Amino acid sequence: MSEYAAAAAPQPSPAPPVVAARDLTKVYGGAGSTVRALDEVSVSFSRGAFTAIMGPSGSGKSTLMHCLAGLDTVTSGTVHLGDTEITRLKDRELTLLRRDRIGFVFQSFNLLPMLTAEQNILLPARIARRRTDPARLARIVEVVGLGKRLHHLPSALSGGQQQRVAVARALLGDPEVVYADEPTGNLDSRSGAEVLGFLRDSARELGQTVVMVTHDPVAAAYADRVVFLRDGRLVDEVYGPTAETVLDRLVKLES
Amino acid sequence: MLRTTLAGLRLHKGRLVTTALAIALGVMFVAGTLVFTDTLRASYSAQVMGSAERMDAVALPEGESERPLPPGLLEEIRDLPEIDRAEGMVRAEAPLLDPDGRAVGTLPTLAVSVGDPSRYTAAQGELPDADDEAALATSTAETAGYAIGDTAEVLDADGERHTVTITGLVDFGVDPQVGYQGAVVLTPEAASRVTGVEGFAEIDAVAAEGVSAEEAVAAVDAVAGSGTEVITGRTLGERLADRAGVEADSMATALLLFAVVSVVVAAIVIQNTFAILVAQRRREMALLRCVGARRGQVFASVVLEALVVGLAASALGVLAGIALAAVGFRVGGEALDAGTGAAPLVLTPTAVLVSLAVGTLTTLVAAALPARRATFTPPLAALRDSDVATGLDRRTGWLRTGAGAVLLGASALLVSYAVATPSGQQGLVVVALAGILAFIGVVVWSPLLVRLAVAALAPLLRLLGASGALAADNARRNPRRAATAMVALTVGATLISGYSVINASMQATTDDMLDRQFPFDYQLSAQLDGEGTGTVPAEVTAELRDSPAVGSVIADRSAFPEAEGRPAGYRVATYRGADLGRDLESEMVAGDLSDVGPGRAAVDEEVAAGRGIGDTITVETSRGERDFEIAAIVPTSSQLWGVTLVPRDFAAAFPEITEDSTVLVTGAEDAEPREVRAAVDAALADHPTVQVVSMSDMRAQFDGVLAAAFLAIMAMLGLAVVIAVFGIANTLALSVLERTRESALLRALGLRRGQLRVMLALEAVVLCLTGALVGVALGVFFGWAAGVAVLRGLIFQLPTGQIAAFLAIAVAAGLLASVLPARRAARASITAAMAGR
Repeated sequence: MSEYAAAAAPQPSPAPPVVAARDLTKVYGGAGSTVRALDEVSVSFSRGAFTAIMGPSGSGKSTLMHCLAGLDTVTSGTVHLGDTEITRLKDRELTLLRRDRIGFVFQSFNLLPMLTAEQNILLPARIARRRTDPARLARIVEVVGLGKRLHHLPSALSGGQQQRVAVARALLGDPEVVYADEPTGNLDSRSGAEVLGFLRDSARELGQTVVMVTHDPVAAAYADRVVFLRDGRLVDEVYGPTAETVLDRLVKLES
Repeated sequence: MLRTTLAGLRLHKGRLVTTALAIALGVMFVAGTLVFTDTLRASYSAQVMGSAERMDAVALPEGESERPLPPGLLEEIRDLPEIDRAEGMVRAEAPLLDPDGRAVGTLPTLAVSVGDPSRYTAAQGELPDADDEAALATSTAETAGYAIGDTAEVLDADGERHTVTITGLVDFGVDPQVGYQGAVVLTPEAASRVTGVEGFAEIDAVAAEGVSAEEAVAAVDAVAGSGTEVITGRTLGERLADRAGVEADSMATALLLFAVVSVVVAAIVIQNTFAILVAQRRREMALLRCVGARRGQVFASVVLEALVVGLAASALGVLAGIALAAVGFRVGGEALDAGTGAAPLVLTPTAVLVSLAVGTLTTLVAAALPARRATFTPPLAALRDSDVATGLDRRTGWLRTGAGAVLLGASALLVSYAVATPSGQQGLVVVALAGILAFIGVVVWSPLLVRLAVAALAPLLRLLGASGALAADNARRNPRRAATAMVALTVGATLISGYSVINASMQATTDDMLDRQFPFDYQLSAQLDGEGTGTVPAEVTAELRDSPAVGSVIADRSAFPEAEGRPAGYRVATYRGADLGRDLESEMVAGDLSDVGPGRAAVDEEVAAGRGIGDTITVETSRGERDFEIAAIVPTSSQLWGVTLVPRDFAAAFPEITEDSTVLVTGAEDAEPREVRAAVDAALADHPTVQVVSMSDMRAQFDGVLAAAFLAIMAMLGLAVVIAVFGIANTLALSVLERTRESALLRALGLRRGQLRVMLALEAVVLCLTGALVGVALGVFFGWAAGVAVLRGLIFQLPTGQIAAFLAIAVAAGLLASVLPARRAARASITAAMAGR
């Protein structure tokens, strides 16, 4: 807890968790050869917090995120988003939940190639037939620094710009939580830093809840809190991490 | 390399299924046509050979001469020791009356005699045995409405009625004369008595025991003398079989023409599929190049793939074609006089090999261009991640725009030339040429057209929400690919709507002609005799004129004058009882029909030969040349073609013509239609051979002919449309495959499964609708141009109902084409698809 106290991050509030998973278990495969990708994981994420999920390859971090986001089904256990138990929902309700209450940033292939940057940002609103607040759009576009590139197709944008478009899209709908799956995996370090800084700012300044999966200690250091997974179990967590502390924990985990 | 290709083929076989189907359908049409017509030809020749081969020697009038063989010859042949038995065949006209007492058909039926031996046998019942018995050709019995056991009347040469009992039905096979005129089969005695013909059209002889056919022919030839040809039954059979074969050949040509359309459409579909596959496998190709494959090897691998697919699909198509031919022959054989349709299917190696070659070569040629493009893949492409721009290629060049404009411009020039100078056959050729140019222009322009069409449809699609908007964007993402899929449909759409326009215009034109130029209730004409100059007896006209139920009677007389023993080449006619220009109208070139009077004639353009109104024209008459002043000039296609005189001038010019060729009857204003019909029937009671057509019958007849042709042609063009829809389904399926991650992303962002399906369905509908609309535009324009260029005075009629139905079908086809790809896209797991590749 000492690390928590020393954190430069905003003071932890007693805010209720936005997302809460309880005894989450995910088993792949059928009779004979089963893999427990998640083994009774319980974890929760508070409002306005930027959390990184880390772990070695095959530790189940991507599976955890997919289950939290309603992209994949669970074998047992529950996930709540706010008051909604999403593990009970049918596909159609899950789709609407993703559309209206969750934002996504993926590692690659985030954008539709035939839509311009602006059209990509507005896509979830268009699907939901939601009105977009032009002031919010203008502000987000300005913050991500895309002004001049708004009418370009993704193929004319750099990798970092593409990811910033994806972040802008995830934030525009003011979702309860944004999930980012290796958002900087395909970027050079400078572009990566831009995107991560932007995710951190959105948590601090807009109160946006962000959950990020990453294997990069430097990326994880942008978060307020890091949770560690190994073999489908939650094994450790760090508040107010630095690249060194995260690397240190990782090395311990691997051994 | 071979192993790599085959392994790839096994892995991707799903992607090639629809392509294979497109090839198979085209090949099916070709193989079906070939096998069907081979079978038809074999069945025709089996029929005639079977009937002719029973004879050893056959004597016929030499050449095309119609002079009958003398009866004495039959006796001489019978007396020959080499001949066992012989019989003469009478074949001459004898009108058969239908159950209502009217003569059957526009031409009198043929009386054909059968004795022992005879080439003909009864298909049902028995051949006539006594003089008051008769058999009918199967088709004649059907048209006239007779069955075995009925009694019927036949008119003899003097117009007297003879009653006969029908004992059987005879299949004459392919005998064009019987097919057109119908036939009554009588005993030799009855036949010569009824027709009044002495002598025979043919003498058939069977050789005595131990005498060969050649010896029998020699013996008959010795007594026959000049003017008579003697051949073996086998030779006669071969001759008849050749003649029948020509019918099968012309049918094969017509069907193959439509088969070619299907194959061309299949080729477009194949080309597009391979182009997409090559584009999708860019990294695969690049990897091959990286590990050392030469360009030639990459090319060969694509071509080899096309070869395997083409060969397999063609084999499938041949099998389907054989099945199609079997069904077709069973269903249609009887209608084509090919017997009961039970004949065994004829499978020649040529038919099978030609069909296989057509399918395989088409596939190879269509795949060659994409294969060449594959060789340009740089090895570096293997290392580049082109995920972002998957299947996105919006380029449409200036060169393309220019070339398309030139082609379309040239086509427009040709059309305006053809329309300005209508000249029948030549005009049609010019319009067809312009059509081909325009089509190539449209193919060149098609990416632009797709963009335009989508831009036009986009606002409509956006109304349908996110799915619609996304569909519009998707349809635009690769205009060239979309365009090729669309063009395949455009081919069929153009031909179908073009033919619909011509069909509707022809129908409107005949209806209008009947309404305006023949405003009559009934047309009476004689059954044509040998010279084609039958007349309606004068007393019929007289009786009709006296009837109170009849308002007006217009009787026309016509003559075909001769000059120095040769036909002068025009008709001279007069219309008694008609006020020209009021009762009888025509399209006019110059002058006015009401100016025709004594000494003043109306002539057609051809007869006028450059003369104008007021000029003098010299007309051949049976009283020598006579001069008339030209009062009116009509088009050559007018019903008043040739030279039209007033009755007094005509009587002076042709005093020997005292009967009418046709009589046009209009009911009195206050008469009920029933009374008019009764008056006509009464006037004709004693003249069974006079033909009566009511205008409503005539209209129904025209409409029936047009409708039957319309259905047949639509069915054959329909296959091309089906193939094109396969192409669109295929393009969509391949796009969906390549957009798996996009679909997953959309689903992750909250697009419902249903919305994803709707998006893909709309994309397919946009493609189909664009292809259909472009085709309809081309078809309507060129249908109009062809009509105007060939037929002056064609009334243009837009078949809105048919075109709307076709567009509706195109929309439905688009929906159908999207079902499987959309299902697949909607089912995919989001997480697997996002992680994939």
